[in-house]
Amino acid sequence: MENMDLAHAIVQAAKFLGAGIAMGFGAIGPAIGEGHIGAYAMDAIARQPEMSGSIVTRMLLAMAVTESTGLYSLLIAFILLFIV
Amino acid sequence: MGIKLNLSRKDKIFFIVFLIIYIVVAVLNYKHVGKLEGVGQRWIIGIGISENITLRLNPLTVIMSWAIMVFLMLSAVKFKKNLRIIPSRFQAFFEYILSFIYEIVEDSIPRKELVKPVFYISATLFLFIVISNILGGFPGIQVVPTDEGIKISLFQDTWFSPTADINTNATYAVMVLILSHAFAIKVKGFWRWFKSFFEPNPLMFPMNVIGELAKPISHSLRLFGNIAGGGILVLILSYMTKYIFIPVILWGFFGLFVGVIQALVFSMLAIAYISAQIE
Repeated sequence: MENMDLAHAIVQAAKFLGAGIAMGFGAIGPAIGEGHIGAYAMDAIARQPEMSGSIVTRMLLAMAVTESTGLYSLLIAFILLFIV
Repeated sequence: MGIKLNLSRKDKIFFIVFLIIYIVVAVLNYKHVGKLEGVGQRWIIGIGISENITLRLNPLTVIMSWAIMVFLMLSAVKFKKNLRIIPSRFQAFFEYILSFIYEIVEDSIPRKELVKPVFYISATLFLFIVISNILGGFPGIQVVPTDEGIKISLFQDTWFSPTADINTNATYAVMVLILSHAFAIKVKGFWRWFKSFFEPNPLMFPMNVIGELAKPISHSLRLFGNIAGGGILVLILSYMTKYIFIPVILWGFFGLFVGVIQALVFSMLAIAYISAQIE
């Protein structure tokens, strides 16, 4: 790491910056989506507390599907960090 | 509501002794934690068929897949041998899982005669994926390539789960895609299936094809990202804390919780894709 020429240093810096930017912006969408899902699930449970079991199961499933867009950016970040 | 813990005196003594041993071992282990090497790297061997063609093979995926398959077959044989009207614990457990999936299939597949084949597919996928995901939550033997060669690490990382390899997931996703179209041809007949690509008008043909081809990509990458990403995250975090307390919690979360949910999502999406083609 110590004796690295400028070109390699710039590439290294760009890798880390790119991974950070990809993960940071990529996390915005799923966060909003999961917040919406959680909010509406709370709404539904408040209206019908006896249905809470099945609502929670479906909420978790919907969250797992919503998460996938965030995971694509996580993949890009990992590729940038470890593979490129 | 809430779970009440009733611990006897013996249990309390056991837990305290266990915690003390855990902390002592963790503190002694603190200095021996080696440098983290080969994060996100896979052990790959190349098999040359001819000069230009080389097969790139991940041996861990093959070994672990076969181990899980043998385990599933053995438990299936055991299940079949000990069938009783009053179920044992083992039988009740499997009956609960399988009836849960069967109900989902029954609700979403409109044709009665297709319920059973779709159930076989989705239940097989679920059982294989859930076991391989849960294996990713237990510390075990992992092989990683380093600069000097291949390094075998014991209990530093979890067992390698076959679903952390994109090839396994892509195989299953493509299999689901082909099966859904095969079911569609069988149910609707070839010409009605062929025409469904030109709806609502022929201009939409490329869109329909791309839409179909995008399904296996998102289907496989979702599972791969969850399991592989979770594994790398846990490895780095547990290295940072020198394997004290944190890894246990994270292995539980990523291995058991996320693993079971993602296996369920994978098989439910398989059912949904097939039922969308049949209708």
